[in-house]
Amino acid sequence: MALTARQRAKVSLYVQAGIFVVAIAALILATDWKTMANSVFNFGKIGPMFPDIFLVGLKNTLIYTFLGFVVGLSGGLLLALMKLSSFPLYRWIATGYIEFFRGIPALLVFIAFGYGVPLAFGVQWNVTIIVMISLGMVASAYIAETLRAGLQAVPKGQLEAARSLGMPQWRAMVSIVIPQAFKIVLPPLTNEVILLTKDSSLIYVLGLTASQFELTKFGRDGISSLGAGLTPLLVAGAFYLVITIPLSLLARKFESRSARTKR
Amino acid sequence: MNDVVNGPRGGAAKVHAAGVAIRDLRKSYGSNEVLKGISLEVKPGEVVCLIGPSGSGKSTLLRCVNLLEQPNQGSIQVGGFEATHPDVDIDKMRRKVGMVFQQFNLFPHLDAKRNCSIAQTKVLKRSQAEADKVSLHNLERVGLGHLADRFPDQLSGGQQQRVAIARALSMDPELMLFDEPTSALDPETVGDVLSVMRNLAKEGMTMLVVTHEMGFAREVADRVVFMDGGVVVEEGVAEQVISAPTQPRTQEFLRRVLDPTHIDIQE
Repeated sequence: MALTARQRAKVSLYVQAGIFVVAIAALILATDWKTMANSVFNFGKIGPMFPDIFLVGLKNTLIYTFLGFVVGLSGGLLLALMKLSSFPLYRWIATGYIEFFRGIPALLVFIAFGYGVPLAFGVQWNVTIIVMISLGMVASAYIAETLRAGLQAVPKGQLEAARSLGMPQWRAMVSIVIPQAFKIVLPPLTNEVILLTKDSSLIYVLGLTASQFELTKFGRDGISSLGAGLTPLLVAGAFYLVITIPLSLLARKFESRSARTKR
Repeated sequence: MNDVVNGPRGGAAKVHAAGVAIRDLRKSYGSNEVLKGISLEVKPGEVVCLIGPSGSGKSTLLRCVNLLEQPNQGSIQVGGFEATHPDVDIDKMRRKVGMVFQQFNLFPHLDAKRNCSIAQTKVLKRSQAEADKVSLHNLERVGLGHLADRFPDQLSGGQQQRVAIARALSMDPELMLFDEPTSALDPETVGDVLSVMRNLAKEGMTMLVVTHEMGFAREVADRVVFMDGGVVVEEGVAEQVISAPTQPRTQEFLRRVLDPTHIDIQE
């Protein structure tokens, strides 16, 4: 049977769609829907989660993410500039920092700042500070690499033109190079915020009071108190999407905008 | 060409002028010596064109004058500044020296007016209102007052280069450096840029220009310097160097530039 290329492509497409449908059907048939309705989709019992999931969970996730991002952005910019510095010591410090914090799980950083630092220095930090620092320090490492790439993507002639007008190096960076670099890194930076939003859930390793719960911890708390099985966690997961999907759309918008114009 | 309205600055034009004195300048990249002992003088108010084949070191020489390249040896004096002195205040010196690049290097995130005003406010500490006034004046000087709010990507190459000239002029420089200002332009926009430069020369600006535009050099330059292989081969009055060069290398270069269709079979 001699098929033309177009027929072969058509058959292949039908086969792929068939496999997909069969897989979904098998999954549906294999699922124990009775138990699922009780312990995962038990939406009848989650009423008590509202409105606190907004007022506490969502609010705290947003606050922790924002604080982590502010620290991450400032630290990341500093590290990126150090990495591009002509002074070797700065480059070594920045490289060491970035490799270290990108190389270890963020969870360990939370534990280090939540338990290690208080032990070492006898200080007792407020949870918000711990989250801000741990999340910020991890984010700094990732954001530094993003910003470094952005800074290097600004043509060398821009710095030369600025310096030729009598601007000192720092002024040329602040007024000319960094604003352009930020426009270049806006899409990847938005993706960093998405990652941070999810990483903020790692705070669960710390001892939290109810008013400090963020979405994940809030959901886990609901598991033990509501008797709806895992349903509260499913709801918490949906709330993450409420944050991350708009961010993702925003990143795509930045991307298409910078593709359209260099400005 | 209509929009190139020019003329000396209204009324009493104050002529700033700083000369350049380069002595025995040497510059190497690794083992490759690009400038092999250049001495050159530009007197205040003088227009000097640097010509020569690509790779002859003329752009490097120009970039040494405002220290975008660090020379290895020799001395450069710009106005009252000893540019090659280790303690020279580079930023202060560069305020007096306008630079125009082959690729314009306008700031793409700023409109034409802000391109001209940003260094005025940040470096010269002028008020925004005063800086805007100076910027507009200089944009009008290059015939682009009506496009002050355009961004660089909304301007043609020739317009961008004229904004770049206005940007440099807005710092009230005493010397202007041009690094092949028309080489990246579409042929039909070259004339506008050259006419702006011609007017600038008439107003008494000291200019050092790297160019391939022989017509411009002959007409506008007081002196022409021909460089090849990192040395000055010949220099003199523009008309003489271009029309009656004495050195064989200059003759050969000019024959090729002035008659691009000429093919030298012996080569």
